[in-house]
Amino acid sequence: MTATLERGLNALREQIDAPVASFFSSCVSCGLCAEACIFYRETEDPKYTPIRKLDLLRRIWKSEYTLFGRIANMFGLMPKVTEADLTAWEELVYDSCTMCGRCTLVCPVGNDLTMMIRKMREGMSAAGHAPTELVGAAGRHADFGSPMGELHPALHAQIKHAEKETGIPIEMDKAGADYMVLLSAQEIAEYPDVLAAMSRIFKKAGITWTISNDGFEATNVGIQLGNRDVARTLVTRVVEAAEKLGVKGVISPECGHAYQALRWEGPNLIGRPYKFEVVHIIELLDHLRAEGKLKTKGKDTTKVTFHDPCQINRRGGINREPRNLMHMVASNFVETDDAGTMNWCCSGGGGVGANERATDLRFKAFNRKKAQFEKVAPDKIVTMCAYCHHTLEEQLEEHNMDIEVQGLTELIGEYLDDE
Amino acid sequence: MAPKPMLPELMQAHGISRRGFLKYCASLTSLMALPPLMAPRVAHALETAARPSVIWLSFQECTGCTESLTRSHSPTIEDLIFNAVSLDYHHTLQAASGHAAEAAREQAMKDHWGKYLLVVDGSIPVGNPGFSCIAGISNLDMLKETAAGAAAIVSVGTCAAFGGIPHADPNPTGAVAVSEIITDKPIINVPGCPPIPVVMSGVLAHFLTFGIPALDELGRPKAFYGETIHDRCYRRPFYDKGLFAEGFDDEGAREGWCLYKLGCKGPTTKSVCATVKWNNGTSFPIEAGHPCLGCTEPDFWDNGGFYKPLSVPAGDYRKYGLAAIGAGAVAGVAGAALARAGKARAAAAHENVDAHDLEK
Repeated sequence: MTATLERGLNALREQIDAPVASFFSSCVSCGLCAEACIFYRETEDPKYTPIRKLDLLRRIWKSEYTLFGRIANMFGLMPKVTEADLTAWEELVYDSCTMCGRCTLVCPVGNDLTMMIRKMREGMSAAGHAPTELVGAAGRHADFGSPMGELHPALHAQIKHAEKETGIPIEMDKAGADYMVLLSAQEIAEYPDVLAAMSRIFKKAGITWTISNDGFEATNVGIQLGNRDVARTLVTRVVEAAEKLGVKGVISPECGHAYQALRWEGPNLIGRPYKFEVVHIIELLDHLRAEGKLKTKGKDTTKVTFHDPCQINRRGGINREPRNLMHMVASNFVETDDAGTMNWCCSGGGGVGANERATDLRFKAFNRKKAQFEKVAPDKIVTMCAYCHHTLEEQLEEHNMDIEVQGLTELIGEYLDDE
Repeated sequence: MAPKPMLPELMQAHGISRRGFLKYCASLTSLMALPPLMAPRVAHALETAARPSVIWLSFQECTGCTESLTRSHSPTIEDLIFNAVSLDYHHTLQAASGHAAEAAREQAMKDHWGKYLLVVDGSIPVGNPGFSCIAGISNLDMLKETAAGAAAIVSVGTCAAFGGIPHADPNPTGAVAVSEIITDKPIINVPGCPPIPVVMSGVLAHFLTFGIPALDELGRPKAFYGETIHDRCYRRPFYDKGLFAEGFDDEGAREGWCLYKLGCKGPTTKSVCATVKWNNGTSFPIEAGHPCLGCTEPDFWDNGGFYKPLSVPAGDYRKYGLAAIGAGAVAGVAGAALARAGKARAAAAHENVDAHDLEK
């Protein structure tokens, strides 16, 4: 079976529920969501108004789920959603939305626009209108266990490297460990130093941990595509691996949508609660700090700032924790404007960073973040998402800004007092 | 026709001193909301007024307005002011009858064409004009014919001004107000059931001295209909304190508390009842312990009952409200059922999407 318009429209019909109906009914067309959207703000093109990106979903709701819409539909007064409509909306649903959740937060009537974009993507992906890069990544993830393809050899090499560096063995597939650690493909490929940092921190704190060969990949391209069948397949691997090892918790790494996928969407996708708890690495580190199990020595004296990943802070609720940790290890920590829950997106999330077609738009959207960084003029930007990390590096290079970027776990590792 | 006596002579004939006349002019001036400096002008105008011809037509009415003006406390200065005009036709008051009476009207119209003042009390039936006739002429024809040569029209009483009681639901005669038939003449509405005598004479005095007074959106002189009874009511302090009579024989009623909960229409009724009062300034309905009926407002008879508080909606709202709620609930449940069925169909039609199955 191949992707068809009818399959896409059917997926949209499936997605319409009471919250969607109440959101569309209660929208007052105030336009505040436009002001909250980085793509609208940096282009001032009204087509990027978040609620407008949902117009196809709204049309289906109106013509098939409302009384007046049904009557109008009977007389052929409601335009049908066509293949051409879906093609036209690709750019709006996939290129110009990182699902950062800012619009949801400002909506005066409380409409969860981000959740509706996620639902729109269900229909778009089922109809074959998802960006080819994400479609390719989904195939690789399904077949080889990671969106970057077969990563087992790289993972094993990085583990060996970390063991050599720290002198602490890392035992894979160890049943009964306290935690099972997930990694994002980005970390394995680009930022493997995090492994050594975690190894040392956990050793000091007396935590046992392991990595599963069956499910080490934290990312979930199904979430970015917006396809729950694919997302369910991928999250099930992690859930099964963790339950097989009987760990008490799974650590979600520094990756935004991975946290969304496992922490919030996962139980709904598989239709039951997990037999383990999910904790974000930064959440766990702050917890260890509070318990006195995480101690640091010395501080970074350069000027550092922090970039909040949308999925972990705004949509994940982890706001105070990274700041507690930052103050532990940085003596000159300066916040940018709008830092915290109203932070602006790095412009690479939600699959936008992988989408070649969106490259120019993405560079333009970064201007807001750029201005905020220029105002603070930091020596280093710290973050807690590997993909934000990757995007920031790419954007800083494009905009000729010479600022170092570092993951927070790695920074904590640098100043860990493990004597 | 012998020249009629001027006002000073009439005053003397009635034993009213010049001082009494000037006092009346001053009070009339203030009542008309004119500056005090205007009092001498009022007096001068009344003394030298050319005694315009007045034709008074009574249609579907109870004669209460005429009673109010002429009989309530006669003889008075209002009565005298009434004498300052030449009342050439008024079928209750005139001695002539039948063809002679109609001849008097026709003569007055002919003699003063374009200058006479037409006063109307009572509504006009248009359902079938034959419902009310005078000397074989229907009210509708007589009004049209007489209004044609009038300088202005004063609609006295709520029936002439807004249709009044004949107009009340179900309005069997198709009664309408003067203003719904005559549209090309200035019309002054002096509503009330009946209007306060001094209001009627005050409007006439204003017309004699300064012409047509300033009117509100319902054609009522602002001087007499500018404020609500509620705003000037001596029981207003009780309203502001939230002290209400709940029945006609309870403590609140005995204490003289606000009658709002007993259906008083004072808050929505514009009239000078609370200040000028009735029967030579003796009292007014609220002072007598009864809520205001709102008689100076359009459709006062149909506003849902005299004893129903203003905050309770008028009309058969319960039946329609329940019907609307019922219909809404049925439509809502049916709509929800249809939507659920649509969603269930979509869920049944779901075909599992594989990661390799995302392209066309």
